[in-house]
Amino acid sequence: MSDLKVLVLIPAKNESAKITEVVHGVRQYGFDVLVVDDGSTDETGKLASSAGAVVLCHALNRGQGASIKTGIEYAIKNNYSVVVFFDADGQMLAKEISFLAEPVLKGEYEVVLGSRNLGHTINMPYSKKIVKKMALWFTKITTGLKITDTHNGFQAWSLQALKKIDLSQDRMAYASEILAEIKNKKIKYRELPVTISYTDYSVSKGQSIFNAFNILWDLVFKK
Amino acid sequence: MLIQFILIIAILFIIIRSWYRKQKKEISSGEFFVWLAIWVVAIIVIAWPDITSLIASAVGVKRGVDLVVYVSIIFIFYLLFRLLMRIEKIEKDITHLTRAIALKQTDKNNHDQQ
Repeated sequence: MSDLKVLVLIPAKNESAKITEVVHGVRQYGFDVLVVDDGSTDETGKLASSAGAVVLCHALNRGQGASIKTGIEYAIKNNYSVVVFFDADGQMLAKEISFLAEPVLKGEYEVVLGSRNLGHTINMPYSKKIVKKMALWFTKITTGLKITDTHNGFQAWSLQALKKIDLSQDRMAYASEILAEIKNKKIKYRELPVTISYTDYSVSKGQSIFNAFNILWDLVFKK
Repeated sequence: MLIQFILIIAILFIIIRSWYRKQKKEISSGEFFVWLAIWVVAIIVIAWPDITSLIASAVGVKRGVDLVVYVSIIFIFYLLFRLLMRIEKIEKDITHLTRAIALKQTDKNNHDQQ
């Protein structure tokens, strides 16, 4: 690729069962890994550090959006060129990181969004399919972005683009906010296919359907 | 009436509690006097309910009790709004603080390693 520095940012809360495997998986491709331990009550931070990640610890759980923003500030302070958002529950493939980061490293796009609908999903629960469809419809209406997937945490961002956006949502609503910011700040983006593999573990760690209402509430009442 | 007596005693109790909180500097003098004014109005309305009827007819509401309900609902919603805003600000402050501590800790670790 190039000499530009890539940081893989992994927000994690109580992921001690998977975090070592996930960090090792990313490290084997030579990327720097930052794990933001979001108030875990287990050994997530310690295990991530042992596996070779830099670990930032939130003393209190502040949510995925807050963790992403903490990671962005770290990336800015340490002059990374590209930041890739990655999940801690093992449902994303580390081998696809380069594929997502490459157009950003080449300067062709400021952001590359992973898309499950262009790529494919393995064992996605039917309930999640319905919620994702509704979320996609909501995103299209509220942002006008022509995208095929929404709330997909697998994304590659140039540092310059990250400096342009202003994230105020601490919890999961940040995923909608980030798309709105792409639209508002006219950030050049594209989607690329990625694979998301749902396991019993990742589904149990994932959000419940009812969290969609919390996200809506946050989007309407919080800024 | 007994209900008037009970309500006024309850309000006097709240005023005394507020006074103690002001003395302990848990609330400011300004905040105390705003609440005092509200509770004094409540006592007047409870002690002389006919006053509300006079005001109600002056502003075009049929019954005094209806006017009290309308004003109370607006006041409660305003209070709820203020509380939500305050909680939201505290949440943001906690996040900023948590983030600053996390980043500072990493700086310290890096410095120690060097």
